[in-house]
Amino acid sequence: VRHKAAIAALTLTLSGCGLLRGCTSSQPPIHINPSMDDQPKALPQAASGFFYDGSELRLPVEGTVARGELREDDAFFKGMGPDGKPVAKIPVTVDAALLARGSARYEIYCQPCHDARGDGKGILFQRGNVPTSSFHLEKIRAYPDGQMFDIMTNGSGLMPSYKWPIPPADRWAIIAHIRELERERAEAVARRATP
Amino acid sequence: MNETYWRSLGELEDSPSFRANLEREFPEGASELPEGVSRREMLMLLGASLSLAGLASCRRPVEKIVPYVTAPEEIVPGVPLRYATTMPFGRSAYGLVVESHEGRPTKIEGNELHPTTSGRSNVRMQGAILGLYDPDRAQHVRHGDKDATWAEFVAAWAELEKKHLEDGGASLALLSPSFASPTRARLLQEFKGRFPKARIAIYEPVSDENVLAATALVDAGTSSHPVLHVENASVIVALDADILGNDPEDVRQIAGFAVGRRAAIDGKPMNRLWAVEAAYSLTGAMADHRLRLQSRQIPAVVAALATRVLGGAGGVDVPGVEAKWLDAVAKDLKDNRGRGLIVAGPGQPDAVHAAVLALNAALGNVGTTVTYHESANAALPRRASLNDLVSAMNAGTVTTLVILGGNPVYDASADLEFAAAMKKVANAIVLATHVDETAKLAGWSIPSAHFLESWDDAAAVDGTLSVVQPLIVPLFGGKGATELLGLLATGKDQSGHDLVRQTWKPILGEAAFEKRWNRVLHDGLLAGSATAPVTPNIDRQASSKLAAGTANGIEVHFRPSPYLHDGRFANDGWLQELPDPVTKLTWDNPALLSPATAKSLGVADEDLVTVTVRGVSLTLPVTVMPGQADGTVMLTLGYGRKDAGRVGSAVGADAYAVRCSAAPDVDTATLVKAAGSVKLSPTQEHGSMEGRPLIREGSLEEYKHDPAFAQEAVELPKLESMWNEKTYDTGHQWAMTIDLNSCVGCNACVVACQSENNIPVVGKEQVRRGREMHWVRVDRYFEGAPEQPRMIFQPVPCMQCENAPCEQVCPVAATVHDDEGLNVMVYNRCIGTRYCSNNCPYKVRRFNFFNYTKDTPELLKLVQNPDVTVRSRGVMEKCTYCTQRINAAKLDARLAGRPLVDGDVKTACQQACPASAIAFGDLRDPSSNVVKTKADPRNYALLAELNSKPRTTYLAKVRNPHPDLAVS
Repeated sequence: VRHKAAIAALTLTLSGCGLLRGCTSSQPPIHINPSMDDQPKALPQAASGFFYDGSELRLPVEGTVARGELREDDAFFKGMGPDGKPVAKIPVTVDAALLARGSARYEIYCQPCHDARGDGKGILFQRGNVPTSSFHLEKIRAYPDGQMFDIMTNGSGLMPSYKWPIPPADRWAIIAHIRELERERAEAVARRATP
Repeated sequence: MNETYWRSLGELEDSPSFRANLEREFPEGASELPEGVSRREMLMLLGASLSLAGLASCRRPVEKIVPYVTAPEEIVPGVPLRYATTMPFGRSAYGLVVESHEGRPTKIEGNELHPTTSGRSNVRMQGAILGLYDPDRAQHVRHGDKDATWAEFVAAWAELEKKHLEDGGASLALLSPSFASPTRARLLQEFKGRFPKARIAIYEPVSDENVLAATALVDAGTSSHPVLHVENASVIVALDADILGNDPEDVRQIAGFAVGRRAAIDGKPMNRLWAVEAAYSLTGAMADHRLRLQSRQIPAVVAALATRVLGGAGGVDVPGVEAKWLDAVAKDLKDNRGRGLIVAGPGQPDAVHAAVLALNAALGNVGTTVTYHESANAALPRRASLNDLVSAMNAGTVTTLVILGGNPVYDASADLEFAAAMKKVANAIVLATHVDETAKLAGWSIPSAHFLESWDDAAAVDGTLSVVQPLIVPLFGGKGATELLGLLATGKDQSGHDLVRQTWKPILGEAAFEKRWNRVLHDGLLAGSATAPVTPNIDRQASSKLAAGTANGIEVHFRPSPYLHDGRFANDGWLQELPDPVTKLTWDNPALLSPATAKSLGVADEDLVTVTVRGVSLTLPVTVMPGQADGTVMLTLGYGRKDAGRVGSAVGADAYAVRCSAAPDVDTATLVKAAGSVKLSPTQEHGSMEGRPLIREGSLEEYKHDPAFAQEAVELPKLESMWNEKTYDTGHQWAMTIDLNSCVGCNACVVACQSENNIPVVGKEQVRRGREMHWVRVDRYFEGAPEQPRMIFQPVPCMQCENAPCEQVCPVAATVHDDEGLNVMVYNRCIGTRYCSNNCPYKVRRFNFFNYTKDTPELLKLVQNPDVTVRSRGVMEKCTYCTQRINAAKLDARLAGRPLVDGDVKTACQQACPASAIAFGDLRDPSSNVVKTKADPRNYALLAELNSKPRTTYLAKVRNPHPDLAVS
């Protein structure tokens, strides 16, 4: 008798599950114990019922300076020399660690368009035929490093600004990596030219 | 060490109700389940919408991600930034560093570079962040009873202005609170130039103009402001002056005082504080010798001291004061020439201040313990200017009145009848934070921007210049006082940013302005801008001009609320619920009477009494305050607001009603018992610890003789544990010490903790039931006879016991130990049995009897610390040693690839403490401050005999009585 009852209960449960299967609901799942999952506080990137744009994220007031964000070194933060012109060389020491960092950041942020070798034949070019600059063009090789920094900071043509995801130190690391790519390519070309 | 400590008169008398409370361990209601529908005042008041959460709450909430459209370069979501800014408070400037999460300010700290705060903070600074997100703030420009816009106001002003420019502003009046700001001072000058005949009144209900009257400079018209250097003083004589509590410069002064207290520990001479006052204050509590005396007798005390110190034929005796006492003070001052400091309170008349200045000068103290700085850039308060203005308004000669902040309808003395006068003015333009008593009567009311929303500047009392940098654009489109003054003074609508920069161009110089300006914004001040001290006019004969006070009738004092000040912070729930440092009362302002005065009137705590001053009466409850001078009644300003907002309206009694413009500080009153009583909500008798030696103190002599006196106060039994004890010998081991020798009981730690840890406000009725939620409380004990007791404070957070009694009784392991020695709460596991709280010998656990945050308005969600859980109903909570700060510091250190060093982690209470009484750090780091303080022989653990092994320990207090009065 107990067996039968158990089997009946099991059948009922399974058939219940089966009936509900495939039914969709626009409502979120049932949640019996709230368990402080949803707290009345503003979390990063959450929606807000107060601000007109619906986001908790606010922009700092224009003209304010946060602690540690003084950015007095124009060469480092803007790529600009005291004369207001782009600096010719990277204002930080280029060493193996910087190049490694630059290579890693390059893979994340630059490679999708500019490709691993800097030819501008990345996935975006392959799939979408989006024209992307090659770093090996004479024009770009002649750019002062400060100008490269400015392009990454503020964007250029179709390329958007990367100042938010890439902090200045990483921008210089990426430039160091790009210069390394250019140097390697130039050397390879030179080797081929002189048999 | 065998003094009897008591916490309230009830305990001393061992009254039946106190015994009943004690036996219950929690006061009535605190441990009971809510019966019926309880009046959850705060919740109902703050509940913007009573959402029918029934069905919706069964579903998982839908959360949307709304990222930046154009992300700013410096912000990484989730990583806070810090901005230096300044909080102007009267003529004081508090240098702040404000934490901002994605462009929203969430926590205020002191700016370590600024001389006023040097990284510390006070209650007002901590409470200001809640003031920013107050949902009751004025939200629209209003013209009459219709909403309008700023542009419409600017257009209307342009019309008005034409008329006033014609006659030089003869019928124009400007009423402003006192300020010290280069930009506002410049604009005020321009305003005077534009409207030479305009009437200007500078009014502060809580005014220090008596001090300023005595410190006028040689060239009349300017005055100088005294800056106390308490750290240089070996002998401090406070005459009706609460320099450690109710003072705009409290942070600086407490810090200086703590330096002099700690000197004893370093083997240097310890300072000695003498206090003469009518009602108990924090300064009186810290005093080595305190004399309770009616305020009107202070002139006689000054005269007696002057005679003793300077010679001459002045008064020698003060009625009711032992000559021995005065002799000792005078001797102490003479023994410490150049290292003494005499301060009189702002409520004392001009003559007292002149005499005190002469005394300080004669003793060589001016220049070392007190310096005077020219009040440049400041508008000095003058109550008489308001009186003149009101006469002019009544005479009909004012057609346009501009009120640049403040709330005169509420806080002007009642006899002026400001509201009636204001109704006679055709165009009343009011800049107000709330639609308050004054804004309601205004023709035009303009929402005032919070200091965290506006560009402004400020000068500290020592002249140090700083810029008020906004953290967020005005939430309700408010305008700063500077912007409104700018419109009046120039006729052009200019932004605060432009106005402030115009002022700072000549200060910083045109060349390299941008660079210097950014440096000022970054640091939060202009380095080196403090002004050189000046010497005020000294009247050497001042003490002979002191008039003896009349001694008829009961003396009534008006003091600003230590938290709400003149009433401007009345709608701040944190400050309303913060227990008064001395009475430990929340949400009310009873009349304070001495035990003898109360007895003669036949009143006891909570009975109503009618105070009549010059024919005007006010009925309010009584609190009997031990240590108060007989024949005095103390009334606290700032309560009884009619239109403060949902939190602050109709809380307490309006003491301004009986305040007369002729005697706004001290007056004479008659008191009669009134029928009935009112329930008050003290936090005082909650969680009593049965008279065990919780606070240990000794005199300097005792300390020198036996530095370990505190450890010997209790003979510990052999401490054996029932459990196999864990040895905490790896990783970080967090611990804290609290130095009772430095702690002045100011409560800054309590609000700092509330702000950092999302602690809810529960309302008056819940506090009465003992359900207040503060994670750290400041216990206050009395010792000695109830007429003249001493007072002592002890902050009590969670002790983070290694052998935690709470952990052993939790059935669901919701409170457990981590391997860094923290006693942690797992909120989700907590099922609310409250066994832990019952088993906690320190009574530091707090229980959420209600879902206090359920109906939090959208705006108030922004004040919460995103890094801390907002607890729900049925959950136990307590101090966590700011575990979120520990983890943030560990992450930062790891990202920077360096080990965590001492000082990387600061708990919120430690960071706020003006006295630096709290040390926190890693027990396994031998160089850490906490290891050093634990090695101090004064170190003792609370209830060590229970073998709970608390990580938080105390350093005993040392008092420094004068040898001639050692018995007193």
